[in-house]
Amino acid sequence: MRTKRTRLAVGLSLLCILFAYSLGFAQIKVVTTITDLQSITRLIGGDKVDVFAIATGFQNPHFVDPKPSYILKLARADVFVTVGLDLEIGWVPPLLNSARNSKIEKGGEGYVDASVNVPLLHVPTSASRGQGDIHVFGNPHYWLDPLNGKFIARNICEALVRVDPDHRSLYEANLKKFDETIDLKTKEWTEKMRPYTGMKIIVYHDEWPYFEQRFGLQVVDFLEPKPGIPPTPSQLLKVINEMKRDHIKIIVISPYFTTESGELVARNSGGKLVTLATSVGANDRIKTYYDLFDYNIAQLLDALK
Amino acid sequence: MNFFKLMSAVSILVFWTCGTATGQQTDSTAVADSLLMIQLQQSMQPAATVVQQQPPPAPRSTLSTNPDISAIGDFRTSYTSVGPRKVDLYVNELELQVSSVVDPYARANFIYTFGKDFTTGELTPALEIATLTSVSLPYQLQLMLGKFKSVFGKVNIVHPHAFSFVDFPKMTANFFDSEGMYTEGASLSWLVPNPYDFYQELTLEVGRVGSEPNASLVRGDNSQLSYVGHLKNFFDVTQNSTLEVGLSGLNGPNRFAYSTSMGGLDLTYKWKPVQFNVLQSFTWQNEILFSQMRLTDAILVRSLGAYSFAEYQFGQRWFVGARYDYSEYPDDASRRDIGGTALLRFQPTEFQVLALEYQYTDRNYDRSTNQIIFRIIFGIGTHAAHQY
Repeated sequence: MRTKRTRLAVGLSLLCILFAYSLGFAQIKVVTTITDLQSITRLIGGDKVDVFAIATGFQNPHFVDPKPSYILKLARADVFVTVGLDLEIGWVPPLLNSARNSKIEKGGEGYVDASVNVPLLHVPTSASRGQGDIHVFGNPHYWLDPLNGKFIARNICEALVRVDPDHRSLYEANLKKFDETIDLKTKEWTEKMRPYTGMKIIVYHDEWPYFEQRFGLQVVDFLEPKPGIPPTPSQLLKVINEMKRDHIKIIVISPYFTTESGELVARNSGGKLVTLATSVGANDRIKTYYDLFDYNIAQLLDALK
Repeated sequence: MNFFKLMSAVSILVFWTCGTATGQQTDSTAVADSLLMIQLQQSMQPAATVVQQQPPPAPRSTLSTNPDISAIGDFRTSYTSVGPRKVDLYVNELELQVSSVVDPYARANFIYTFGKDFTTGELTPALEIATLTSVSLPYQLQLMLGKFKSVFGKVNIVHPHAFSFVDFPKMTANFFDSEGMYTEGASLSWLVPNPYDFYQELTLEVGRVGSEPNASLVRGDNSQLSYVGHLKNFFDVTQNSTLEVGLSGLNGPNRFAYSTSMGGLDLTYKWKPVQFNVLQSFTWQNEILFSQMRLTDAILVRSLGAYSFAEYQFGQRWFVGARYDYSEYPDDASRRDIGGTALLRFQPTEFQVLALEYQYTDRNYDRSTNQIIFRIIFGIGTHAAHQY
């Protein structure tokens, strides 16, 4: 009888220890809309977070299918990080509406609008869909300026502290480290691009204003006649003439656009078509937020040789 | 029966109250002033910048508490080989939608339509949707109250403007109504935990069919309610393809003062390359339903309806599709329609859709018809995105 009791006590104790041990290692479940937010969350949260990104790095973040399998991830999430500024308006609302998780609803402690405090560009003074796919709050591709990564990181850090205050010091230390690293690397990247300050370029879609500003480039036209409208022959002809007239050498395209129209313009203008990554994971070489800029700067410099 | 109804009503109220009580109302923490970061950023800015920065905007959530408002127009031109008006040009439907979060515990959605009445030629107003949906209930439940599209099958929950084809399958029109079936009552759905960790959602609805009686069900008297159930199973086959399998069932009063029961199976395969998802896609959707409708103590009609369609997107704006329809009638299984439909769709933007549809219908009780419809749908305002 006594042996049985002893065994029971030992068993229960082991279970309690196991439970406490598992609690100690329980990770904060984070869902982000894009991979750049996933990368920054990992840099801030370290091994305390388990982060899932809905869109892949080579996918157009405007158009993601709200698959029900994402609802399962959101239903279990402690934190949800969104780019905001209506970038994901076509797919985040139906996912959140079905997730049944008040923690990550707008206003919930786990909801993070990563754009908060980011100085925005291209905020329209009037809004009409006649102008194409415009964003009424401003251009939403702000993560393509590495210094805006610091605003994103701070917003994420604050959310992690809200849901997991026990590890505040860790998150804040990682934020400090992130800020220092991004400052240092931004100096290196801007130094590399300094000889090309003011260089005119053409881009496919209006998603590079933050990158353009940070690295001193000048986007003069787009292959799309209006945001979201596919390139038309008259627009391509206009761009070819501009490139010839102003000796523009670079056309920037994103991984999720087909290259035909860009190649046509490059052939007829003597320019070069350069595919830049818009997000982490656009290819195997880009594993972190830092790699994104390492890769893009290297691609541009290579094209300019 | 009365006891059951009472218990249902009490359960619904309890769930709603539960959700309201357990919903966490947390004040959103104001983000700390980042003046220092802005100064640092400005100090690191290259000498020659082309675009001027603007100061941080005010929090966007304070801009407006107005609901999202949208309007959708559906204009058509049609040719039908049989009938008094062979060529027609008309406004088929106008839809006004208002939706918003009510409070931290619920969302509301209203859709008001003006639909073409082909008898009078007038646009008739109707309240199509009016729902109050819980934001968060315990145990991954979600409760919806009001008037909504019944969850039977795959196509019935789709709004007409969001469907690939100009018209719903003949199965939907013959067994329910040209735009499907609506329920007024309560809908409770549950994300079912399962060991394989795939998406499984069970939905149960109780109430009365919407104010418009359909071919299979009517509102019935006070003691007769309709019940609809659906089990949705969703699988990511690969990164680019998905498979959905659904099982449905319903029971409710019919116009012969007896009841109708139905079972349904739906299967949908979608392929869309993630990298170029705006350029190419393929959908194959199938559905079959079995109906048992009692007309008298002695007469029970067993009937069948089914459709299968495929749609292929071959450019950013271009789609082609084909559909096969087979449908009997719920009160007369000897009558049947067989249809073949071809579709060409052009979408200049996500706010405008132009579609040209040809349809041949073979009827074993009447003359066969050829029909050509051209439809243009357009939306203005903020319209909530549709489910996958």
